[in-house]
Amino acid sequence: MSTEEPKIGVFICHCGSNIAGVIDIPQLVEYTATLPNVVVAEDYRYMCSDPGQDLIRERAREKGLNRVVVAACSPTLHEPTFRRVLESMGLNPFFFDMSNIREHCSWVHTHEEEAALEKAKDLVRMAVARAAELEPLVQKEVDVKASVLVVGAGIAGIQAALDIADAGYKVYLVEKEPSIGGHMAQLDKTFPTLDCSSCILTPKMSLIGQHPNIELLTYSEVREVDGFVGNFKVKVERKPRFVIEDKCTACADCLEVCPVNVPDEFNTGLGWRKAIYIPFAQAVPNAYIIDTEHCLGMTPIACGKCKDSCEAEAIDYEMKPEILELDIGAIIVTTGFKLFNAMEQLEYGYGKYPDVMTNLEMERMLSAAGPTDGKIIRPSSMKKPKDIAYIQCVGSRNERYNNYCSRVCCMAALKQARQIREKYPDINVTIFYIDMRAFGKGYEEFYESTSREYGVTFVRGRVAEVRGSFDSDRIVIRAEDTLLGQPVEAEADIVVLSCGIQAAENQGDLARVLGIQLSADGFFLEAHPKLRPVETNTDGIFIAGAAQGPKDIPDSVAQAKGAAASALTMVTAGRVKVQPYAAVVNEELCAGCGICEASCPYGAVKVVDNVAQVTEAQCKGCGTCAAACPNEAIAPQHFTMDQIIAQLDALFQEAR
Amino acid sequence: MLTRQERAPIVPEEESNTKWRIVVNEDWCKGCGFCYTFCPREVLEKSDKFNTKGYYPPVATNIDRCVGCGLCEALCPDFAIHVEENEEHSKRGGK
Repeated sequence: MSTEEPKIGVFICHCGSNIAGVIDIPQLVEYTATLPNVVVAEDYRYMCSDPGQDLIRERAREKGLNRVVVAACSPTLHEPTFRRVLESMGLNPFFFDMSNIREHCSWVHTHEEEAALEKAKDLVRMAVARAAELEPLVQKEVDVKASVLVVGAGIAGIQAALDIADAGYKVYLVEKEPSIGGHMAQLDKTFPTLDCSSCILTPKMSLIGQHPNIELLTYSEVREVDGFVGNFKVKVERKPRFVIEDKCTACADCLEVCPVNVPDEFNTGLGWRKAIYIPFAQAVPNAYIIDTEHCLGMTPIACGKCKDSCEAEAIDYEMKPEILELDIGAIIVTTGFKLFNAMEQLEYGYGKYPDVMTNLEMERMLSAAGPTDGKIIRPSSMKKPKDIAYIQCVGSRNERYNNYCSRVCCMAALKQARQIREKYPDINVTIFYIDMRAFGKGYEEFYESTSREYGVTFVRGRVAEVRGSFDSDRIVIRAEDTLLGQPVEAEADIVVLSCGIQAAENQGDLARVLGIQLSADGFFLEAHPKLRPVETNTDGIFIAGAAQGPKDIPDSVAQAKGAAASALTMVTAGRVKVQPYAAVVNEELCAGCGICEASCPYGAVKVVDNVAQVTEAQCKGCGTCAAACPNEAIAPQHFTMDQIIAQLDALFQEAR
Repeated sequence: MLTRQERAPIVPEEESNTKWRIVVNEDWCKGCGFCYTFCPREVLEKSDKFNTKGYYPPVATNIDRCVGCGLCEALCPDFAIHVEENEEHSKRGGK
């Protein structure tokens, strides 16, 4: 406990006009100067700038400050900045408190200037009261394990894993599906260059399979994450694939004998596969898997034909799930997205009319390796269509489903339209759109040449209804052409719904396991939308790709490389500072009742010999134990009972 | 009004070269129901006619789905059912 008299300097930031535009700064400064223990009260246009930081240093030297309060933005943004200032003056960086008068005041009370000033006074008074109670703390450094876990092996995960492995660090790449590749493996060609998707993806996939630094765990899921930055303990479940990966030679003998046909997920259910199968020809690992839901051999006396035919003896019906425990330094989450379920948007008739299909189904149909060998046919009649219509923004930019723009569907529709016109110049393609968004490098040029050189028709208007024609087997689309200002009705043989991107189904569960946050739209939340786009609010966990928000391939790869670089920075340094917020127990007061142990969400508190003990490495400083303890015997550091009571006293003192 | 359903495959299911026939010795059956309860392909059903002992034997109402796994044969406590190749309909030599 520091015994010297607190000398507090309060520095109020204008944040340009963000704060000063609403709150009367001179009045706030004048008020602040009257608060107890305040030696300096000053304002500056940008406290976070170099001159702003110098101001703090100068005043601290002149007046011998030993506590600093900055009233500005959120501590998430600049607390580290100002702590460094204190450190540079030789003060303990934890003698600092930040009062958030921007997000918590000026931004939310733009039109109530007087009330905002009063609230700002309250907030500053509370921070000053707490500052007097602050105690010096020592930041600890911990070792960082030289290994990175990448969760999800789509293009983002593959890229991140390769970058880290090439830098010489161990990578565990976990994928829940039997093969890596993700959605990109399902695409035929990629916009705007029309590269064949598998031609650019599969070399990377096979690099993953062969890289000495990468341990590939397919058909596996992350079940538990314990520990903290640099020292995560991760439990991964390997689900049984019933085929021993190393023994399987992918000879296809089992396919010949397997009697069960199942709709093929990789081909979006348009084709068939067997109950023992390989997701696609270039799958990595190149090994078969048994689909237990449809396999008859799971009742051992029933089938067993594949096992009998397998010369490599790779099939093992007795395989059990396996839990692996990994020591991990940093985690990158690249779990991708889920396509919007077209069945939800009833008016577009998906699931009712077989000729209404999704963009991904069309992609598989266009693929030479797809169920129709690249031929376009009407699902209802297996005949070639004359007219194909695209409906954009299905499930996107719609307040009933997802408000956001999915970013890839415009370009995907243009690309498919162009592929169709290239293959079949006699098929007419019409695209119904709200806005065509061609924002990337080379995208606008692609859009223009598609409309001009490839004769694709565009109709601007959201489609109201899709229904079967009354006098033919065709499909009728009703929309309003907003350029002509009149309703239009068009007939088509195939309607393709440009389904948007949405958060994966179990994204919330995974967020809970990892201890990271989701944004309102269900994707993972980044630490800062502009300046920390690959970090999460949990140190040591990074995000990339469509799991963070809708993204096309170039953006996913760029973000994955960013996340890999961030993880590498941490792993290469080998040491990382952790916040000294862990709870401490006053053993004199502790009765050993165990309420804290039961309430701790991180399993960090255990009662040993009638006294609670905290595993510092696991404690996140959340304070749940402090709130639960009947004797006030346990409290996190830097948020002690004294500090919080001082804040509350300061808040209510005016009212009294 | 048509009901909504998941996308069905657009290419026809590959037909197996071997067709199967299920032979039931009805009078040996004591109606335990193992065969139709455990058939993984739902080929068998309980018959609506009873046999000389007064039990309901199984009947293969859905023989197209049979893949010849032989589970019914393995399970029958009375050796009253077996699966054999239907040579008339099987395409010998493959297609």
